[in-house]
Amino acid sequence: MEDESEGSLSPSQDSIQTPAVLPWDRFSNWLHCACVVTFDLELGQAMEIIYPSHIRMTEKEKMNICYLSFPDSNSGCMGDTQFHFRIRQCPGRKQIIKSHVEYNRECPIQLKSDDAHYYGFVFFRQTKDRSIRRGYFQKSVVLISRLPFVALFSQLVSIIAPEYFENGEPSLEAACHDIDQWGPPVPGETMNLPIFGTVLQVRIPTHKDKLVGAGQTRTQSVPTLPAQSILPSLFEVDIYTAFQTILPHVQMLWELMLTGEPLVVMAASPSVTSNTVQSLVSLISPFHYCSDYRPYFTIHDSEFKEYTTKTQAPPSVILGVTNPFFAKTLQHWPHIIRIGEMAGEASVPKGFNKLKKASSLKTLDCKPGVYTQYKPFLMKDKGILKRLIKGMQTKRPVEAQNAILRRHFLELTQSFMIPLERYMASLMPLQRNISPHKGPPSLRQFDVDEFVKTLHQSGPQLTSIVKGEWDGLYRKFFRSPNFEGWLYHRQYEVNQKLQVLHMEALCQANLLDWIQDKEEVEIVDLVLRIREKLKFATNNSVAVKPENINKLEKHMTTIISSLPEDLQSVLNT
Amino acid sequence: MSLREIKLCLLGDSGVGKSSIVLRFVRDQYKDHVESTIGASFMTKHLVVDDNTYVFQIWDTAGQEKYRALAPMYYRGASAAIVVYDVTRECSFPAVKDWVRELRHNVPGNMVVAIAGNKCDLTELREVRTEDAKQYAEDIDAIFTETSALTAENIKELFESIARRLPPEEIYRPNSGVYNIRKTDNPEKKRQCCSGSNKSS
Repeated sequence: MEDESEGSLSPSQDSIQTPAVLPWDRFSNWLHCACVVTFDLELGQAMEIIYPSHIRMTEKEKMNICYLSFPDSNSGCMGDTQFHFRIRQCPGRKQIIKSHVEYNRECPIQLKSDDAHYYGFVFFRQTKDRSIRRGYFQKSVVLISRLPFVALFSQLVSIIAPEYFENGEPSLEAACHDIDQWGPPVPGETMNLPIFGTVLQVRIPTHKDKLVGAGQTRTQSVPTLPAQSILPSLFEVDIYTAFQTILPHVQMLWELMLTGEPLVVMAASPSVTSNTVQSLVSLISPFHYCSDYRPYFTIHDSEFKEYTTKTQAPPSVILGVTNPFFAKTLQHWPHIIRIGEMAGEASVPKGFNKLKKASSLKTLDCKPGVYTQYKPFLMKDKGILKRLIKGMQTKRPVEAQNAILRRHFLELTQSFMIPLERYMASLMPLQRNISPHKGPPSLRQFDVDEFVKTLHQSGPQLTSIVKGEWDGLYRKFFRSPNFEGWLYHRQYEVNQKLQVLHMEALCQANLLDWIQDKEEVEIVDLVLRIREKLKFATNNSVAVKPENINKLEKHMTTIISSLPEDLQSVLNT
Repeated sequence: MSLREIKLCLLGDSGVGKSSIVLRFVRDQYKDHVESTIGASFMTKHLVVDDNTYVFQIWDTAGQEKYRALAPMYYRGASAAIVVYDVTRECSFPAVKDWVRELRHNVPGNMVVAIAGNKCDLTELREVRTEDAKQYAEDIDAIFTETSALTAENIKELFESIARRLPPEEIYRPNSGVYNIRKTDNPEKKRQCCSGSNKSS
């Protein structure tokens, strides 16, 4: 029993050894590029290295990366600081990554490869250095990707950057070369990712994962290689630490997230803002948060004007900011979270439970807390808060606190989601209405009032103990981009499914019998329709069995040959 | 039958044939022109020796000087190292001694070291005498062999003798190597963690 593999180690990844793989192809399955941003005395922040060197970015993208790769105020950031950001990709010259098309079909929706944004994972180092004119060494290593693999890439940059600061460019080159040996991300698989003498092991989630208790259902194939470092998650962040100082308000924040309310997170460090913003976004999983969010945002950002204008209502976005300037600029925002330093004490801070009026926030020196006038629709679940505070006092490990919190919100979100799914299912046409002789049936329209009427019978009260005005929350949700995104995605999925069912009905039908007593025009119509279906099936790789497609193609040939010759020649061209 | 995980690295001057040795061992192939390695390449290979299965995690490091400083990342935590020189290039041999010195200095515990004189098929071009290299290997208690990635001579044997030389206590047991990533920052800690769970299993 001898076998070998190169780079990628899972058995099903052998295919990547095909000779068609070009240098950097595999690298770009994971990262867009790695950069080094330095502080130039004349230019300010400047891009020193982009690796691989053939990667092209627009000046705007480069500017945004440069500014977002340094903490806004460096004085408080001696030593190493890690955080991440998200920027818009400039439109045009979209490079389609083949493996991402496949990956996107199978991955959970919130982990899709983003074709409109880049994520940047920063490791910033600031040390005293007398040999430099300003007296400080300041540099960042940044990994840029379309994939929101926050946990993996944060870990990765923390491995690569210190080596780079120690040994310079060859280590960055070596790191990128290591990544260029990784197999493409395959949902459902546990990947072994060699980097700098160790192997990171991480599982890529799939949309088929069971939602509640996903942790227990990890029955993936046994990896061929015992990894040296196992990452517990590809993307999950430490939500407990992020919310520790504002725990009593997290359920309200969940409502704000669900309904796509504008929100700003203020803190002294980009590490705190990025972790908090990412935690907020993950709060409503498995819903995909559809508005823009910026884990770290500065006054130099190219969207600064667009997002901070006072001439319009604040946009549906979340911003993480550290610059005191924003306290003024974003004063008119309806919801502001101010995260302070946690003393690390087990005691519950004073005023922990109180909400603060947004207008009372004038400077960044204000007390930590949530500043809003929002009235939650749901009543606070005090049980979860008690549990977490007890955990605080008994020094329960952060991982356990995280699991409790995450599970609580997953259940709450699912309670909210189940009635929507149930109603959606009622919009499906009946199986018996799928006829090969008619076009594919379509989904009925989503009717908000009709939906709200179902809540009385089968609302979230069936699965959640949380009481309150659920229907009000739904109505607010229906006006948010999150609903639009969810509905679009579900409609797409359902229509895809209906196409498959219709196609299968068509394949099974005895079309030759059917055309016996039909007019020529009806037959031609049928032929054209079948052609369209076949085109659709091949374009969208619809899950129809190939033998069924073959059958249909044969039917077609027979039908066409039964037509008069002049028609035949028209249809065959 | 036990399954044992071996982290192994190859060290040595540029152009002595490290990547060719790995390519021969892992895929039983030989290429006339191998591009020079960047940083290090990673491959794995299962090998059965005396009824035990070994999974070699091979880190094939770059020989070029500019990557010299990266080497510690690759030999850190390795159970074995192959230090390669070219028998047709006298000047590639002193580097072997430098590598051995570095390994002895930086790697705690008993790492298995093998010295491989590659390109031994080129008999008429030989510059390093077998006896000299063999004597040196004996002095430092290292495995010694002369190999040819071209003809495959002694390639598999090299890895087999490394497998046999490994101290028995490090046998891998499934589920014992699993620990939280936060603990891996410090290689000392990692060692404790592994041996701790081994004892208890």
